[in-house]
Amino acid sequence: MHEDLSQYTDEELFAPVSHSDAESEKIAAPRYSYWKSVFRVFFRKKVNIIALCLLLFVILFAYIYPSVTSYDPYANLLDPNAKHLGPAQALNYFGHELKWILGSGASGESTFDAVWNGSRISISLAFICAAINMFIGVMLGAVWGFSKKVDMVMMEVYTIIGNVPMILIISVLSMLFSPTFWTMVFALTIVGWLSIAYFIRTQVLIIRDREYNLASRCLGTSIFKIATKNILPFMTSVIVTLLATELPSYISYEVFLSYIGMGMSEMSLGRLIYAAEAAMVTPGWQMEFWSPVAIASIITVVLYVVGQNLGDASDPRTHM
Amino acid sequence: MAKYTFVRILKGILSAVCVVVLIMVLVYSLMDRTTIFAGDPNYSKMQSNSRITYEQSRYKAFGYIDYSTYSDYIKSLFSSGEIDDATRSDALKIGVTAEKASDTANEYIAKFTQEYESQGYTITRLDADRKKNGQVKDGGQAVIYATRDRPLIKRVVSYFTDLIFFDNVHYVDEATDIGPRKLTFTLYDPVYGGTKFSPAIIGNGTMHRYLLYFDNSFPYIHQNFATLHLGESYTVNRGVDVFETMTTSQGSYILKDVIFPTGHSEKSADDLHTATYVAGSLEQSAMYATRFVDDYTHTITHKNNMSKMGFSFVIGVIATILSYVLGLPLGLLMARYKDGLLDKIGTFYIMFIIAVPSLAYIFLFKAIGGSVFKLPTSFDMDTNSKAMYVLPIISLALPSIANLMKWMRRYMIDQMNSDYVKFARSGGLSENEIFAKHIWKNAAIPIVHGIPGSLLFAMTGAIITERIYSVPGAGNLLTQAINKYDNGVIVGVTLFYAVLTVISNILGDVLISMVDPRISFTSKGR
Repeated sequence: MHEDLSQYTDEELFAPVSHSDAESEKIAAPRYSYWKSVFRVFFRKKVNIIALCLLLFVILFAYIYPSVTSYDPYANLLDPNAKHLGPAQALNYFGHELKWILGSGASGESTFDAVWNGSRISISLAFICAAINMFIGVMLGAVWGFSKKVDMVMMEVYTIIGNVPMILIISVLSMLFSPTFWTMVFALTIVGWLSIAYFIRTQVLIIRDREYNLASRCLGTSIFKIATKNILPFMTSVIVTLLATELPSYISYEVFLSYIGMGMSEMSLGRLIYAAEAAMVTPGWQMEFWSPVAIASIITVVLYVVGQNLGDASDPRTHM
Repeated sequence: MAKYTFVRILKGILSAVCVVVLIMVLVYSLMDRTTIFAGDPNYSKMQSNSRITYEQSRYKAFGYIDYSTYSDYIKSLFSSGEIDDATRSDALKIGVTAEKASDTANEYIAKFTQEYESQGYTITRLDADRKKNGQVKDGGQAVIYATRDRPLIKRVVSYFTDLIFFDNVHYVDEATDIGPRKLTFTLYDPVYGGTKFSPAIIGNGTMHRYLLYFDNSFPYIHQNFATLHLGESYTVNRGVDVFETMTTSQGSYILKDVIFPTGHSEKSADDLHTATYVAGSLEQSAMYATRFVDDYTHTITHKNNMSKMGFSFVIGVIATILSYVLGLPLGLLMARYKDGLLDKIGTFYIMFIIAVPSLAYIFLFKAIGGSVFKLPTSFDMDTNSKAMYVLPIISLALPSIANLMKWMRRYMIDQMNSDYVKFARSGGLSENEIFAKHIWKNAAIPIVHGIPGSLLFAMTGAIITERIYSVPGAGNLLTQAINKYDNGVIVGVTLFYAVLTVISNILGDVLISMVDPRISFTSKGR
């Protein structure tokens, strides 16, 4: 390996380099951008690309399809032959259209249309509730974790409110107001933020007293700066992971509430499942029941997978 | 530890009280009262004044207000002998309007007003509702009544003071002559014919006839000195306490030869040990007259199946045990062979359970269990087959297995990177030894904390599982009560849940401090 250097002269071996102040300020390591790295790691896995595409497709379809087609659940109400048709019968009866590939329901409506309308309502509910709860929960959770006084009060509030059955709050609210979409949002967010805030509080407590924060505080950094600069970056992956479990949970919870008869009046996925429960045991009618169940499951699973993997990707330790 | 537990119990009681206050605000103050009439067929038939009084009487029945009418007042005066028949009929002539009331009526209305207003009631007089020709409409008779809103604080205080009822010989109205009021102790229980040795304490003047007795059903010795009154039902099981609804047996009657106090013998399901006092019941029923010698006539019947809580508890406990027995080793193996095949399958399964709505996978289990394994998919109390328990248990166990697997794996992996494990490894211990002897014990500690809770909450039942398999359990109590505006039950069930939460948290703390000597809740220790 070692070349014989004696054949070269000093001039050939060494050349003077001109000194440049500007050049010496440059950092040789590649520029690190947090979000770029997050997406680089995220797209490294093939599964994530597929899941993300599926998620985008489902969401776009749920929002675009019902708005370009007109859906009237009672259009075929008076036609006795149009009710409870299986996919094959429906396609024969109504003609070969996309909307009949899942058959028809109890009032002759297209199951396919009903499911996508329901998906739009359920997805909207999940996103709005998650946005409100996450915002309030993360903000208050951070304060809760930082202040010992707030902690004392909030812990008691948490144990008390945690013991009040959620269904009771929701049913009281839906009796107070009419059981509309926005009542549901209100009912799910009025105490929903509390568990998120508690989770964030625990995370903040873990990070708050680490040495680097102690050092930061000794150097006189304000609490606000510690919270935003020292702790929040650590929390990003936690928050994204939490969001990944929160989003599908609202869809599941709405399904659950509708099933026990406490859902909203809009025909969401939960209401569709509730309405079609009797159809499940009737031979030939199962499609009405399983279609909303399947779509609800697909939406929740895809949301969960994308969210979890995004959460993993947003953990800087995976960015190597 | 004792002091810590004591403080925790006090705090727990306090938070349970707060929960009850909150529920009462929600149920009695915030909820719109008029919704109780939505499904009431009588209400729509009522007209005019009688509709208003009906409303008030229903509000009273649902526990919203105190309500009393003038005619009831006069009736009570008459029955206590204060006024004679003539005065009574005079006093009831309150007239179509206030000016037309008889003098006697005016006198008693004034008394009524004075008496009730001093207790904080508001007196309302509804003049007769007349047609154009002057005739009184159907149900339009003039009425006078007193109403009083129950203030929250009074409601809460009376709820908690009535929570535990201590039976005593002064329970029966002192004015009633029922012979000597006393407790008698006997070694030979008269229910068994008076010859078999079976100690019992029998009361006279108490609410329950038998205050202490033995029989052949669990827990063999029963007492009635103190009974729990969680909340009385107004609609679902009128007049029955929630706790009784949860704990009495269900199904069809078990008929046995019963010798009644009169000596009359008959095949009957009545459990004479549960006899309670119902004033005046002996006179009212000819059947009671052949059976009983006094007013202790109300009995609970023997039925052949478990109580609501019993069903929920059996299914819940088996599911809990199953999930710990399967979930912990599976989580352990997933961590042991991380990124292996089992770990991948397990992660997929956990994801499935977390992401898919619970309703969807329970229906899926039901469909698979019913068609592939030919298991019964709905519960039937009459067939005594054990197979009908299988699907509900599986449906409850599978999600909690996933949950336990998730946490066990997480805790194990967290432990795997800690210093003591690296030290053990460098000391030459094999991976299996490290897992079996070191990591497992440390990782199980946070899991242990949840055991009392999952066992205790088995009693409350699972809403969806029980509904889907039509299990006659306790899971639907709350939803049913909410749907039927059964306010007493709502409060009772919520208090029950709150107390269970408090107990399971305390037991969990005690348990982990027993399992792990490093954990100490006293400030003095260490």
